[in-house]
Amino acid sequence: MTATRSRIALHAGCLLVLLVMLYPLGWLVATSFKPADEVLASLALLPSRLATENYTTAAAGIQGVSLLKLFGNSLTISVGAVLGNVLSCSLAAYAFARLRFKLRGPLFAFMIATIMLPHHAVLIPQYIVFNQLGMVNTFWPMVLPKFLATDAFFVFLIVQFMRGLPRELEEAAKIDGCGPFRTFARVVLPLTRPALITTAIFTFIWTWNDFFTQLIYLFEPGKYTLTLALRTFVDTSSQSAYGPMFAMSVFALLPIVLFFLAFQRFLVEGMANSGVKG
Amino acid sequence: MDKAAAPGALPRQRPAPAEQDRKRRPKREREGAAWVFLSPWVLGAVVLTLLPMAVSLYLSFTDYDLFDPPSWVGLRNYTQMFTEDPRLLRSVLNTLLYVVIAVPLQLALALAVALALKSMKRGKAFYRSAFYASSLLGASMSIALVWRALFNDGGTVDNVLGSLGLHTGGWINKPGWALLSVALLTVWQFGAPMVIFLAGLQQIPKELYEAAAVDGAGRWRQFVSITLPMLSPVLFFNLVLQTIQAFQVFTPAFAVSGGRGGPADSTLFYTLYLYDRGFTASHMGYASAMAWVLLIAIGIVTAVLFRTSRSWVFYANEEGR
Amino acid sequence: MTMRRIRTAATAVLVLCLALAGCGGGGASTAAGGKVTLRFTWWGNADRAARTEQAVAAFEKAHPDIDIQTSYSTYESYKQKLATQAAGGDVPDLIQLDYRQISQYAGSDVLLDLKTQRGTLPTKEMDPGLLKTGQVDGVQYALPMGVGTQAMAYDKAAWRKAGLAAPKPGWTWDDWVSAVRKLKAAGYERPMTDPGQMEDWFEVWLRGQGKRLYGEDGQAAFTAADLTRFWTFTSRLRKAGLVSSAEDTTQMAGGAVEDSPMGRKRAVAEFNWDAPSAGYEAMYGDRLALAPMPAGPDGTPGQYYKPSMLLGIAADSAHPREAARFIDFLLNSDKAADILGVDRGTPVNSHQRTRVLPTVTGFQQQVAGLQESLQGKLKDPPAAPPRGDNGLQSTFGRDYDQVSFEQASPREVAEDFLTEARTELRP
Repeated sequence: MTATRSRIALHAGCLLVLLVMLYPLGWLVATSFKPADEVLASLALLPSRLATENYTTAAAGIQGVSLLKLFGNSLTISVGAVLGNVLSCSLAAYAFARLRFKLRGPLFAFMIATIMLPHHAVLIPQYIVFNQLGMVNTFWPMVLPKFLATDAFFVFLIVQFMRGLPRELEEAAKIDGCGPFRTFARVVLPLTRPALITTAIFTFIWTWNDFFTQLIYLFEPGKYTLTLALRTFVDTSSQSAYGPMFAMSVFALLPIVLFFLAFQRFLVEGMANSGVKG
Repeated sequence: MDKAAAPGALPRQRPAPAEQDRKRRPKREREGAAWVFLSPWVLGAVVLTLLPMAVSLYLSFTDYDLFDPPSWVGLRNYTQMFTEDPRLLRSVLNTLLYVVIAVPLQLALALAVALALKSMKRGKAFYRSAFYASSLLGASMSIALVWRALFNDGGTVDNVLGSLGLHTGGWINKPGWALLSVALLTVWQFGAPMVIFLAGLQQIPKELYEAAAVDGAGRWRQFVSITLPMLSPVLFFNLVLQTIQAFQVFTPAFAVSGGRGGPADSTLFYTLYLYDRGFTASHMGYASAMAWVLLIAIGIVTAVLFRTSRSWVFYANEEGR
Repeated sequence: MTMRRIRTAATAVLVLCLALAGCGGGGASTAAGGKVTLRFTWWGNADRAARTEQAVAAFEKAHPDIDIQTSYSTYESYKQKLATQAAGGDVPDLIQLDYRQISQYAGSDVLLDLKTQRGTLPTKEMDPGLLKTGQVDGVQYALPMGVGTQAMAYDKAAWRKAGLAAPKPGWTWDDWVSAVRKLKAAGYERPMTDPGQMEDWFEVWLRGQGKRLYGEDGQAAFTAADLTRFWTFTSRLRKAGLVSSAEDTTQMAGGAVEDSPMGRKRAVAEFNWDAPSAGYEAMYGDRLALAPMPAGPDGTPGQYYKPSMLLGIAADSAHPREAARFIDFLLNSDKAADILGVDRGTPVNSHQRTRVLPTVTGFQQQVAGLQESLQGKLKDPPAAPPRGDNGLQSTFGRDYDQVSFEQASPREVAEDFLTEARTELRP
């Protein structure tokens, strides 16, 4: 009886907090349906009439580039980044977590230090490097660094996870004659799945929403992403179109919602089934 | 992810039987394997990280306006930072205040929600997704505009508080309140630490709780003597990374304050000022010096966190410390 | 390592980087199949994008051997992107610049001396005073693409209700204050946006008194006393409830019309540049009107015709002649003038100006009307702001927050501002 009551209380509490948390998102969606003169001026949640013109404008894309194309560009970059991060960060993490080599300590410290330098300070040198490689105005500056494990956050995350795995399995594999590569691929990688899925989800969302890198490196509108496109609606030096920007934000939100919904269940299933015991 | 802190800081382990076996193999072969695994990282670290970092370190000792070649000025940028820039001091204080407010609040909320979800039998997947929803958008322009509308004079927050007799007249437009509203934006996007907490909670063996329940330990006791210690490595991971990120807070304040860090410099955070110096005022040398001071400051804070972690982070497996 | 060796090593790394940067670039403008590709970058909104695209298409049709690749972003993003490209040695062939950027880009040899393209790019139909705005040290580095001027946007209905006549050129700051008082008396609380937060309005106020913002030497030409007087003036108005509160004024930081007191319908009049005032149309419709800026006590106008934006060619462009041909098309041809209209400001070419102005509709008529009413009355525009002005402009707004939130007195803040100006301005 008390168990039921406390469960109801728990749900009621969660729903209440959730309502507060979701209110700003509701605001965002509601604003995308507001007519132009209400978008920012009105402080009411609901629009006075359901204006769909923002969506019509947003759906037309920008400067002759269709919405579909923008979606495609964002998707290419984000999927590329996910593949890169999962692959390269897990490789580096395995070396840091399990293998012995000279300079391991200093290199690990260096890797952590790279998270600490604000990226504005290295923007220009990085730009010079990519310009030299002839990669400006391509997707490579967004994708290539991920294949080179420059996101130390994820290397650290996977390292922490791998260190929690029992060594017995790996050692068994070694006794069976597996080299480090087969051990990694057959034993360690499957067990690391929850961390890899976490990495995939965060990489996808963060790359999808990233603005500054895409702004600097992409030149032609034909290569623009959704994140860039929605900013072009707001130019403070001329007239802005906030309504379509909100509409495009909603469009941009859809794929990440779908991506998250599709993969989030693996997150916890993976955790539960990985057989990892403290 | 919940066992050890930094492998670099790890003591030598008791050699397991298999490890002794491994020792018989030529050392070079094992080293070689490690470098193969590391090769993408090494390439990225040298070309995309180390080289740019070296350049920015060099620039920090120069006067560089982005256009003309940099000219060496020695330590002038650094001395100027500490002696003649009151706005910089302001940005340091703002950042510290922000870190102290946003990090604990965000971690507390993430942990509370993760705990609530953990004990839930039904609807877990739904709640998890719904609670993550706020983090999906990032600190985008549209969220910043929503935030401005909600926390402005006559906005929802003002109205709700007003109906409780607490008229604030808006937060975003007042020097004393704006920082709090920006911090709340970060707190609101607590999805990443929540997901990591959930993963950590999932790894705590149920048997521990069952045993404690048999011993008659109540919920609170279980939380204090099982959940917290078992979760401490994950808590530590979240604490370190959220602290590092909070020191570098840029986007929320940039978006919400229109890039200026107002009102009256109250949300002028360190990196926002760094950006302003580097790109608006074209003092890239000075901005680079600021970046290196920040790197060292965060490094010290992180080192302190690692040091204190020895006394409160509990590693179940003696592999760690 | 000794300090010296660190220095040598670091220099080596940097030199390597910069050398690489120097020899790269221009890759995108190589000819493909005998076709010349030019990169053209600018800032603006969707409407400008559509018009620009149309003009580019018309040009490409007339010049099948030239391919123009355009790129645009919003002004704030644009500034950072272009600065990064310049630092990285990867400047597009054709770049749109703000008046405040000219000194920096010209002084650092990013821009081509347009004299070298005189044959392709005639400027005889452009107003000499305006042409000067694209010059640095007597060299023409860029051409103005359009003309704009400062203005006061206001709600006609409120004006009528307060029994006020439309302001005429030559009305003074005193007239302005009494108009604002009448608006307040007619029931409009804080009817005007506080002008103290923008350097632009301070400049108009200064010029009305025969002074100016920057001298020939590229340093500030006003004193702390001038700025103190201006900020004391605006503070008095604010304390009297005549201009917007500090809380509302500070929200203009991002520069969007929608965040300003008038855009949020908390004020009925506001200073702005003429063309961007179109943003108020969404909220005010045909109640929106433009008036000239208030003049000095003896009627000296403070406002001036400013190049709304300029267009230049990168110094290391591989195809300067083709680029010049494109600029000539945009600024001088009938076809481009018909397509672009007054989107980038009213045309600079006097022939196109007389052709285009009568055809404009809607809010653009207000802009054309304002500019016509000021024709021949304004003084020459000031020389392009010196290097370092960009940072100062944002400092001005920041500093004024200190004044309006009453954290420091106008004098203290004005003195701080001038101290910073002395170190920032790099003539």
